[in-house]
Amino acid sequence: MPVVKVLTEGIGEVNLRDIGEYRKRGGYEQWQRVATTMSPADVIDLVSKSGLRGRGGAGFPTGRKWQFLPNNGRPRYMVCNCDEAEPGTFKDHLLLEETPHQVIEGMLIGSYAIGSNHAFIYIRGEFKRGFDIFSAAIEEARAAGMLGDNVFGGEFSIELTPHRGAGAYICGEETALLNSLEGKRGEPRLKPPFPAIKGLYGEPTVVNNVETLAFLPHIVKNGPEWFAKVGPEKSPGYKIVSVSGHVKKAGNYEVPLGTTLRELLEIAGGARDGRTIVAIQPGGGSSACLFEEDLDLSYDFDTMAAHKTMLGSGAVVFFDDTTDFVKAAHALVRFFAHESCGQCTPCREGGHWLELTLERLLHGGGLDSDIDLLVSVSHQMTGLNLCPLGDSIEPFLASVVKRFEPQFRRYVKHAEPATV
Amino acid sequence: MAEGRVAGRAVAERDFAAVLAQVKPEAERLMALYPEKRSALLPMLHAFQNVEGWLSPEAMAEAGRMLSVPLSVVESTASFYTLFFRRPIGRYMLQVCRNLSCRMNGADDVMAYFRERLGVGHLQTTDDGTFSYEEVECLAACDRAPSMQVNLEFVYDLTPEKIDELIAAMKAGTYEVAPLPQTAMPARDWHVGQDTGRKSPGGQDVSHPNAPGGMGDPSGIDLIERLARSPYPIEARPTQERLVREGAERLKHAPHNGEVEH
Ligand SMILES: Cc1cc2nc3c(=O)[nH]c(=O)nc-3n(C[C@H](O)[C@H](O)[C@H](O)COP(=O)(O)O)c2cc1C
Ligand code: SF4
Ligand code: FES
Repeated sequence: MPVVKVLTEGIGEVNLRDIGEYRKRGGYEQWQRVATTMSPADVIDLVSKSGLRGRGGAGFPTGRKWQFLPNNGRPRYMVCNCDEAEPGTFKDHLLLEETPHQVIEGMLIGSYAIGSNHAFIYIRGEFKRGFDIFSAAIEEARAAGMLGDNVFGGEFSIELTPHRGAGAYICGEETALLNSLEGKRGEPRLKPPFPAIKGLYGEPTVVNNVETLAFLPHIVKNGPEWFAKVGPEKSPGYKIVSVSGHVKKAGNYEVPLGTTLRELLEIAGGARDGRTIVAIQPGGGSSACLFEEDLDLSYDFDTMAAHKTMLGSGAVVFFDDTTDFVKAAHALVRFFAHESCGQCTPCREGGHWLELTLERLLHGGGLDSDIDLLVSVSHQMTGLNLCPLGDSIEPFLASVVKRFEPQFRRYVKHAEPATV
Repeated sequence: MAEGRVAGRAVAERDFAAVLAQVKPEAERLMALYPEKRSALLPMLHAFQNVEGWLSPEAMAEAGRMLSVPLSVVESTASFYTLFFRRPIGRYMLQVCRNLSCRMNGADDVMAYFRERLGVGHLQTTDDGTFSYEEVECLAACDRAPSMQVNLEFVYDLTPEKIDELIAAMKAGTYEVAPLPQTAMPARDWHVGQDTGRKSPGGQDVSHPNAPGGMGDPSGIDLIERLARSPYPIEARPTQERLVREGAERLKHAPHNGEVEH
C-alpha cells in the first residue's frame, strides 16, 4: 500500500518539537540554502515547476498565487492558515503540534519567495495547546538565528507572529481570516480585490495552508521534478488524507495523489466487520458524496472535480450500510447554519430553514413535500453569496437525497400539511 | 460587600484592579507584535479571560480603551466568537463534538449521557457552578471519535465509563486538566443570545437527547431499539431566583449604583 512519509516523517518516533532533533535530520538546511544562495524568483520558479497546488481547499497552484502580488513597493504579508475546522479534517494541527519547525521552515521559505518581512500564522482558537507548542518553537527558532533581523548575516529580515482565533469556522476563509487577524469580526470580504492586491491591512498578502507551506523545504531539497513526477500530471505530489467515519483505523495517512479511494479505505483498515461502504465524502463537509461504484476513482484534484465533487481539504469520510443519511445531512446542515456569519441572506436564512426542515423530519412531523424543499432551498441558496460557505450545503445534501431518497421518505409522516 | 458563593465554595470578590495589573504587561507585549495595534484585540481578550475565567464587561471596556476601539465594537467583535464567554462559566468547560464523524461513532449517546449525568443541557452550567456544557462543531479529532475538549484540552474515544471517571475526578479535584479560574457566579444559561432557547418545529430543544439516536451505531444496535430505550428528560429547573440575585450583584458593582425597580 502506498503510504509514504514526507511531511509525517519522524512523527511518533522522535520529538520533532525540539529544534535539535529537527536539525539533526537536516531541518532548516533548506531555509539556509534559500536565504543564502537563492533569489526569490528562483524559489517561485521552483515551486511553480513542482506543480504544488494549495492544500487548504481550492487546490490553487501555489507558484501562480505568489505571482499575483503587485510590484508596488508596499509591505507584503505571508499568512499561514491553521484554522482547520472543515468537518473531517485533522491534518494541519498534527503538523502544527508534532513538527512545528517544519511548518516554520516552510513559512520562512514562502515569506522569502514573496518578499514578506512579517509572517503570521492564524491558529484555530480550540488549538490552545498547539498554539503554545508553536509559540515555543518560534522562540527556539529565533534563538537559533533562523528568524529575526538580517538572518544568516544577509539582508533579509523576517518576523513571525502566531495568532490564535477564538472559535469560528468561517475564519478559515481567507478574507474572514484577515479581518479576524485585524481584530474584527470574522466576516468575509467582497472579492475582488483579492488578498494578493489588498489583503492584511490593505497590503498585498498571500494566504497559504499549513500543509502547502510544509512541503516547501522538501521541494527545495529534492527539486521540483521529485514532486511533479508523483501522481497525476496536473495534480501531482503527496497529500495527508484525514480518514474517518465507518472505518476500522481512522487516522491521517500520507499518500501520493492518484491513490484510489478503495486503497485509502484499505489503508484505514477497511469497513467494519460485516459491513459494506455505500458512500464516500471525499473532501470535507462541503463536498458532494461519491458512492460504492466510485471506489476505484483516483483521489486527486481533477478526478474529484470531474465527478462533481472535490478533494477539498483532504478529509475523507466513509459511510457504511448502517448510516442514516437524514441524520448525516442534519449534522452537516446544522454545522453550516451555525457557522454562517450572517452577512448574506441566502446563506443565513437558507441554512436555518434547511436545519429546521430536517429536524421536522427527524422529529416525526415531516411532510411529503419536505424532500423537494430540501433540494430546492439548498439549490436556490447556491451561487448568491459572498463566500463559498453559503454554497456548501447543497453538494452533500443534494447528493444524498438523490441517492438515498427512500431513507428520507421513511421519515415522512404527513402527506398533507398537518392541520393546526 | 457580600462574598459570592458557589456551592459553599467562596468566590473571591472580584477585584478588577488586580486583574488589570496582571494582564497589562501581557497586553502591552501583544500590542507591540502587530503593525496595527487593533490586531491585538483577540489575544488581549484571551488574556483577560485566562485570568478571570470569563470575559467581563470591565475587561472588554479596558481592552477597548487600550486599543482605542469603542466598547460597542469590542462587544460586537467578541460576540462573533464562540470561545469568548460573556457570562461567568463553570470551572470545567465541557465541549462535546456533535459533528458528522463523531455522530457516526456514537456521539448522540455520549451527549445524552452527559446531559443525564450533569442534569443540564446545551449551553448550560450545573447549579454548583462546576460544569458548563456545550455541544460543539467538529474539533478536528474525528479519528478518535467521539471526542471532546475539557478546558480546551482534548479527550478522545469517549465511553460512558470514561465519562464517569472524568466527572468523578473533576468533582474530586484530581482531574489532570486544571480548573478554570472562577471570579463570579455562573448563571444556568451562560451563553448570551445565539443558540439559546431555539426550538424545532416539533417544539423540542433542537439537540434534545430524546431525538432519535445516532447514525450508524457502532455497537450495531438497531435504531428502533435505541428509540425504545429510556429517554433522558431534563427537568426544567427554576432559574429566576439566581438570575435576579446575579442581576442585583451586578448592579451593586455598576458605577451609577442605581436602584432595582420591580
Ligand atoms: C468557509 C471556508 C473555510 C475555509 N477554511 C480553511 C481552513 O480551515 N484552512 C485552510 O487552509 N483553508 C481554508 N479555506 C480556504 C482558504 O480560503 C484559502 O483558500 C486557503 O487557505 C489557501 O491556501 P492554499 O492555497 O495553500 O490552499 C476555507 C475556505 C472557506 C470558504
Ligand atoms: S456566504 Fe455565509 S458565511 Fe459567507 S459571507 Fe455570506 S453569510 Fe457569511
Ligand atoms: S466530527 Fe467530531 S471531531 Fe470531527
